[in-house]
Amino acid sequence: MLETLVPSFVTGLLLGGLYGAIAVGLSLIFGIIRVVNFAHGAFLMTAMYASYWLWALLGVDPYLSILFVGPAFFLLGYAAQHILIRPMFVRERALVVEPLGVLLLMAGFDLVLSNLALLFFRADYRSVTHPLGSATFPLFSMILSIPRSIVFVLAFVLTGGLSWLLTRTELGTAIRSVGQNREAAALCGVNVYRIYNVTFGLGTAALAIAGAAILPFYYVNPTMGSPLAVKSFMVVVLGGLGSVPGALVGGLVLGVVESVAGQFVPATAAAIFSFVLFVVVLFTRPRGLMGTLDV
Amino acid sequence: MPHAKASHDRLMRPALFALVLLLAGGAVYTLADAQSVKEIIVGEVLPLSGPVASQGSQLRAGAEIAVEEINAEGGIKALGGARIKLVFGDSKSTPDGGMAETERLITAEKVAVLLGAYQSAVTFPATEVAERYKTPWLVNVAVKDEITERGFKYVFRDFNKASFDVKEIIAGNEIFAKETGKRPTTVALLYEGTDWGRSTAAFLKKFFPEAGYKIVLDESYPPNQADFSAQLLKIKAAKPDYLVGCLYTPDHIIFSKQMMEQKLDLPFGFMSVGAGSEDPVYYKAVPPQSVAYMFVQEDWDILAPKRPWYPGLNEKTKAKLGYDANAYVAAGYGTIFVIKDALERTKYDGDLAKYRTIIRDALAATDISTDKCQRIERKAGGQTYCPALIRGITRVKFDEQGQNTFSHGLISQNLNGRRTILAPMEFREPGAKPAWPVPRWADRK
Repeated sequence: MLETLVPSFVTGLLLGGLYGAIAVGLSLIFGIIRVVNFAHGAFLMTAMYASYWLWALLGVDPYLSILFVGPAFFLLGYAAQHILIRPMFVRERALVVEPLGVLLLMAGFDLVLSNLALLFFRADYRSVTHPLGSATFPLFSMILSIPRSIVFVLAFVLTGGLSWLLTRTELGTAIRSVGQNREAAALCGVNVYRIYNVTFGLGTAALAIAGAAILPFYYVNPTMGSPLAVKSFMVVVLGGLGSVPGALVGGLVLGVVESVAGQFVPATAAAIFSFVLFVVVLFTRPRGLMGTLDV
Repeated sequence: MPHAKASHDRLMRPALFALVLLLAGGAVYTLADAQSVKEIIVGEVLPLSGPVASQGSQLRAGAEIAVEEINAEGGIKALGGARIKLVFGDSKSTPDGGMAETERLITAEKVAVLLGAYQSAVTFPATEVAERYKTPWLVNVAVKDEITERGFKYVFRDFNKASFDVKEIIAGNEIFAKETGKRPTTVALLYEGTDWGRSTAAFLKKFFPEAGYKIVLDESYPPNQADFSAQLLKIKAAKPDYLVGCLYTPDHIIFSKQMMEQKLDLPFGFMSVGAGSEDPVYYKAVPPQSVAYMFVQEDWDILAPKRPWYPGLNEKTKAKLGYDANAYVAAGYGTIFVIKDALERTKYDGDLAKYRTIIRDALAATDISTDKCQRIERKAGGQTYCPALIRGITRVKFDEQGQNTFSHGLISQNLNGRRTILAPMEFREPGAKPAWPVPRWADRK
């Protein structure tokens, strides 16, 4: 059991990178601008189908498809916020916090997207055959998956990129101000609704990029987004609302706990460890591991 | 007095008209029922969305093909040519969804009989709902033994129990051990943590030690995992001779790929107890090297392509799903004919509640075999066949608990890119021999 401790830690980090890469877009949308995007899983699924069909019909390598799905899903996210969610904000103008009606709206949108996918693409699990799909490289006595390691690195790239955007650019400052108090932000001259659109677009683009990178070793089907979306919410809250690096840290912590705990108890019991951790962290540090105090 | 008379007349005419209509309607209604019923509504609760929707759609396709054939050939003759109308309830791959849809099909859709539900975790509670409503349920796929061990009167199963699956696996191993002189001694178990995995694991843990094996790992996992690395590390550390796995399609895809990446060496191989490994969708999604030498406990006669009825069924399956028929298409197809056989032994007098019990009694009296199949026999390729036996079993007869004790599966091994039947001996393909022990990854081409 002890000889698997270090390898399980390493594979836990890789798993955590997967969780982090998928959650970073949500940490921007839910963590920063507080839009409860319950369609996160469906957006992931749609982005992965987009990459899949680009591969199946045009032979485009999933990694290359990032160049297309990234911008395409920025536009899709922008449109979703503008067309679906904005009217709700406009109606709730008196409030300075996000209406919870958005939660139901996005949950409904999730159902619509997954059932459309079921209608057009059927329930089949689809995956791509990629030269790197099952490629591995040795690390000491361990065999590590190359595509999963790519996602791990991508998680850091996405987190770093979004963090840089949030802290070093004017757009980023505007986004953070809208997240804190949109009335005050408006008073400071920020075009609040445009910022919401752009942020949602950025979060969805990050998600689409992560989805394309997962495709070489994963599968896509109409409802595969839900379990990962649930994990994403856990990761974002664990890592702390208001912190994009927090999502990555939350993901890594979750992945390691699941993997290492899984060495001592069956996986079904190891899942309990992650929830216990979640509860303990929120109990002792309600803002999450790296969350900001102005929640 | 003229006023009163006028108003009296005003009411009289429409009232009389309504009364006549009512009487006429009542007469037509009772007359119609007394003569014949136009259609019998058959309900199926299946996972048409969610993680196991691919298998749900396979069961659905089989059932639809069977109903189309039955209706095209004149429907249920004993009921004056009544057609079968299939209605589906989507369990969404969850027990709550299954129970809700069962209730809806019974109370709103007014089904006469139910089938389903693929997942043991869904079938177990959903059949309890059917029992409460005294509506018969024929389980087409779901192995948890307890489904037909609760003393229920309305639940029947024309499929293996988990205990059958495990006994067949052990019997298969005994055959291979006898012919090669070698046998595994240590076994690792990896199974999904809901009813199917747990019920199979319970029997694995009961029967394997009795057969002389030692269980060195008992690993359950929550379904829809993204990564099996942690489990593979544990399996490697436990150093088992043999691995038995219960995985639905998505998990099986990830597990098989990672098992290949990690080059997990199992001297006597990996036995997959069906589900994912019986799904054509799974085989399309994994590289062929990852399934080489894998054993599968098959739920149907996989030599079906050689049977005369296969081309017809396969063409229709391909038209609906885009791939070949499999065990679940066959299960969906065959059980509809078991229902037809039962319906041919019933009479409907308009009372649905009573009719459900009549169907229940007819099901309990079912006895179909290759010789006794007249009510449902069909022709293909110049030969007569019995569609209820399409899975390659020889008889459908339910015991006092509603279980078809004649249900059985087969053991196959993936040799030269093809699932080859190896056990029981009477089903072994001529010239086939097990690769036992199984070649190490380093020695494979």
